[in-house]
Amino acid sequence: MGSIDLNLLSLGFVFVLIGIPLALDLIFKFGLTKNILQSVLRMSVQLLLIGIFLRYLFLWNNPWINVSWFLIMVITSVFSVVKNTPLRLKTIFFPLFLAFVLPTFFLVIYLNFLVLHLKHIFDARYFIILAGMLLGNCLRSNIIALSSVYNQIKSYPKKYLYLLSLGASTYEAILPYLTESVGLAVKPFLATMATMGIVALPGMMTGVILGGASPEIAVKYQIMIMFAILSNGLLAVVLGILFTLKSCFDDFGCLKNQVFKS
Amino acid sequence: MIEFHNVYLSFGQKTIFSNFNLKIKKGEKIVFIGKSGCGKSSLFELLLGFKKPEKGNIIFKDKKLDASYIWQVRRQIAYVDQDVSFPNQKVFDFLNFIFSFKANKHLEFEQNRLISVLEKFELDYNIINKDIGELSGGEKQRLGLVIAILLQREIFLLDEVTSSLDKKLKQKVVDYFMSSHNFTVLSISHDPEWLEHPKAQIYNLELKKWVV
Repeated sequence: MGSIDLNLLSLGFVFVLIGIPLALDLIFKFGLTKNILQSVLRMSVQLLLIGIFLRYLFLWNNPWINVSWFLIMVITSVFSVVKNTPLRLKTIFFPLFLAFVLPTFFLVIYLNFLVLHLKHIFDARYFIILAGMLLGNCLRSNIIALSSVYNQIKSYPKKYLYLLSLGASTYEAILPYLTESVGLAVKPFLATMATMGIVALPGMMTGVILGGASPEIAVKYQIMIMFAILSNGLLAVVLGILFTLKSCFDDFGCLKNQVFKS
Repeated sequence: MIEFHNVYLSFGQKTIFSNFNLKIKKGEKIVFIGKSGCGKSSLFELLLGFKKPEKGNIIFKDKKLDASYIWQVRRQIAYVDQDVSFPNQKVFDFLNFIFSFKANKHLEFEQNRLISVLEKFELDYNIINKDIGELSGGEKQRLGLVIAILLQREIFLLDEVTSSLDKKLKQKVVDYFMSSHNFTVLSISHDPEWLEHPKAQIYNLELKKWVV
C-alpha cells in the first residue's frame, strides 16, 4: 500500500493554504508577510532540491556516497551550532564534529543492524533518514548546552575559579555546569516524550501512517526513533562539552578569552 | 615561601603592577590595604594562576609558578572571597562535592570536625540542610571560612572575608587565623580587627610599601 501522490493541481491547493496567514496578515497587520514568503520560498526550494537529491541517493544507494552525505550533514549541523553559540568556529569545530559523528554513526548502525536487520547497513533510505533525525536533535541540544556552560562561566567567572581554588581539576570544576546544561537540553525532549501520543502525533509517525503503513508499525518506529534521539542527544551533549574543554580552557584551567566571538 | 619577582600586570591601558616585588615568609600574617582597583584581588588571582603576569615570576616554595605546578599550588592554598561564589545547591551536597575532588580525597569529611568548625564561627549544624541561596551574606562568608579550614591547608588568601560580620564575629575570625603559628595569612581588609592585631604586618598595595 503506497501513499497517494499529489499531482500539480493538488500541490496548487496546498499552496493556496499560504493564503490564510497572508490574508490574516493583511487584515491585522502582523508585519509577517515578508517573513512568511521568505520561509515558504526557502522551504519549498530546499525540499524540492532535497527531493531530487534523495531520489538519486536512493537510486545509486552507494555506501561511499551515503557516508559522504552523512558527513556533510554533520558538518552542516556543527556550523549551525557554532552560529547559534557564542563560541568561535576555529575553537570548537573539530571537537564538536567528533561529538556529533561518533554517537550518531554508532546509533544509526546499531539501529540498522540490530533493530532493522538491514542487509546493507548503509542503505540510504534508512541510514540517511535516521541520521538526519538524530542530528537535528543533537543540534538543538548542543546549542542549548554549550551556550549555557560557556555563557555562565564567562558571566560569573568567580564561581568557576572558586572551584579550582578548592582543588578541582578543570573536569571536576565543569561538572556542575555539565549537570545543569544537560538538564536544560534534555528536559524539553523528555516532556515531549511524556506527552507523546496524547498531545501530539509525532511527525515521523504521521509520515509513516500517511505513507501507508499500519499504525502499529508506525508506533514501533516512533518508539525506536525516540529512544535513539534521547540517547544520541545526551551522548552528543556530554561529548560536546567534554571534547571542547581542551580547546576552550588553558593549562591553568582558566577559560580562554579568545574562544568567544568578538 | 611566596615571592613576586619583577611582576608586571595590566588591564588594557591600566597598569596594576609594574616591576612589583614582594616576599612572604611562612607563618607571616599580612594585611593588604589600598583603595579599590589598586590590585589587591589581582595579587591573589596571580598567586592562584587565575591571572598570568605579563612579565616577571611568581615563586611558590622555591619553584616558579607554571601550568603544571599551579595545580599543586592550589591544593595548598585556601582562598575565600568577599562574596564567596558558591554554586546554588544544598550546603551538604556542596561539601560532599568538594571532598569528592581528587585533590581532597585524602581528607576525611568528618561530622564531628564539621560541627566543631561550624560552632567556632557560630553557625548552626542545621545549615548543612539549607540551600546556599537562602544564606545571608554573613553566613556565606563564614561558610567559606569553614570550608577553607576543613580543607586543612596552611596558606590562606582572605579577600574581605569579614565585611559582612558583626564586631564580635570579626574579632573571632581574626583571632582564629592570626593565632595559629603554622598559618600563613594574606588578608585584604580595612577592618580594624585585622589592622590592629599585634601580629599583623600591613602592606599598602597602592603605594607598594610596608606600613610601619
